[in-house]
Amino acid sequence: MNTPLSLSLILLSGFIASRWIAKFKLPSVTAYILLGIIIGPYVLHLVADPIIKSSEFISNLVLGLIAFSIGQNFSRSNFRKVGKSVLWISVLEAGFAWIVVTITFWLLLRLPFYLALTFGGLSAATDPIATLMVTREYKSRGVFTDTLLGIVAIDDAWCLIIIAISLALAKAIAIHAEQAFFIIKVMMKSLIEVFGSLIFGGIIAWISFKFSKYLRSQSELLIYTLGFILFTIGLAIPLHLSVLLSCMALGTVLINLHRENTKFFDTVRAIDPPLYIIFFVTAGANFDPSYLGKLGILGIAYIIFRIAGKSLGAYLGGIISRAPSNVRKYIGLALAPQAGVALAGALLAKSSLSEYGGLIFSTIIATTIVYELTGPIITKHALKLAGELPPQE
Amino acid sequence: MKKVRDCMNREVISVQRSTSLKSILEKFKNFHRFPLVPVVSQENKLLGVVSLDNLIQIFQPSHYKLLKAIPFLDYREEIFDVELPSEIGSLIVAEDIMNRNFITVNEEEEISKAYKLMKLHKLEFLPVVDKEGKLVGMIGIFDIIRNLFADQGII
Repeated sequence: MNTPLSLSLILLSGFIASRWIAKFKLPSVTAYILLGIIIGPYVLHLVADPIIKSSEFISNLVLGLIAFSIGQNFSRSNFRKVGKSVLWISVLEAGFAWIVVTITFWLLLRLPFYLALTFGGLSAATDPIATLMVTREYKSRGVFTDTLLGIVAIDDAWCLIIIAISLALAKAIAIHAEQAFFIIKVMMKSLIEVFGSLIFGGIIAWISFKFSKYLRSQSELLIYTLGFILFTIGLAIPLHLSVLLSCMALGTVLINLHRENTKFFDTVRAIDPPLYIIFFVTAGANFDPSYLGKLGILGIAYIIFRIAGKSLGAYLGGIISRAPSNVRKYIGLALAPQAGVALAGALLAKSSLSEYGGLIFSTIIATTIVYELTGPIITKHALKLAGELPPQE
Repeated sequence: MKKVRDCMNREVISVQRSTSLKSILEKFKNFHRFPLVPVVSQENKLLGVVSLDNLIQIFQPSHYKLLKAIPFLDYREEIFDVELPSEIGSLIVAEDIMNRNFITVNEEEEISKAYKLMKLHKLEFLPVVDKEGKLVGMIGIFDIIRNLFADQGII
């Protein structure tokens, strides 16, 4: 199948698959990944090889778009709006998933530290869409629901930072292993990558804002915005900076420079849906079933300890911010679904940690499918425990 | 070229920040469409605007605005399925739903600037403010187009 036909197959079958899976109240992302596995090279092999091979370009572009879009969450007005509980709980549930998964993978499963760290970083991500769907589906209402939606809305931004730090450290550890001054070198390299990316993204945001006064129309605005996102991605790669952090800083600085800058985010929203479908389907197509055998214990441990870490972090965050007891106890559980951001991070890990990249990627794909199929049920259960489901008629 | 001041509409229906949802809906019940409603302070300073979008957002869950930043959110709300408690008519006030990220144009600007802003932001109306940020009028695309016709001697 040639490239245009493959792309058309991805888009049209993606559209049908997402409609079909909506009947079972499941998020579209699941449909796209499963579709990718089915039409990918290991099952039906319907998608042209150039698309699978060029998925790195698509994923870089989509990663940049995701990070740019998430960056707007860190606006001053959002911080004022979300409140103390959401801030504390979101930081700690993401942070503790990171720590708990890293430590158990390192000490219990005896994985190399940098690999454990990568899994830990990826485990921080959640799925706002699945969570939103569940709360609407069951018409839940109350403090717990409000806090939950606030957390899933904002925690993707923390997760991007955690994933970027984990990958920076993991890469540095993998490169400098067993060298003299190992720890200093690793810390320096990671610090440069993290802070360099933030400064770099910020500078580009400032430049793009300064020249945006010459824009005249919607189409110019779209061209201009895409141009600067690609510019950020394109320069971050050779400068050895993090694409995620640079694009996120681009978004965050832009939104805080001027209140009118929401226009940049609104304009890319118009073009990103087909890109996301291609991204998820090719991600599924890159899933290598030969890893399935190795996945068993790793996958189960990931699923259990991610939730354990989230619950522990959310509980602590709840205590610090004096959240009601139902929020403290059950919100970690409600954060079970995992999707886009974890997958995006896994794709990055795949390309930057070549040795274990395939294993990481396949684990995240497999656990994402498990989490997306079971996560909504777990979230519903958490809402029930929290007492925010309306009484059955 | 003409200034915004020369083409704008000076009679603007604005609301205070404490105006309730119910009275906003009452106020515009005889309109064919919901306009862009400026929200002003007692000193007539422009604080925000309420648009039709802001009214639709009432049917959406809290934090929905935050969730809009999330990529691949293709989940549309079914506004017909949402049950709203009846008391929100008086509980929700203009300040709760107004958009603080609004675009304005200064009365001293040329009308081409106002037109450009409308095109860039896909808007049909802009609140007009003076140097101090006080609301002095509204200008719409039709005001500008009508003015162009007038300049050509057609009307």
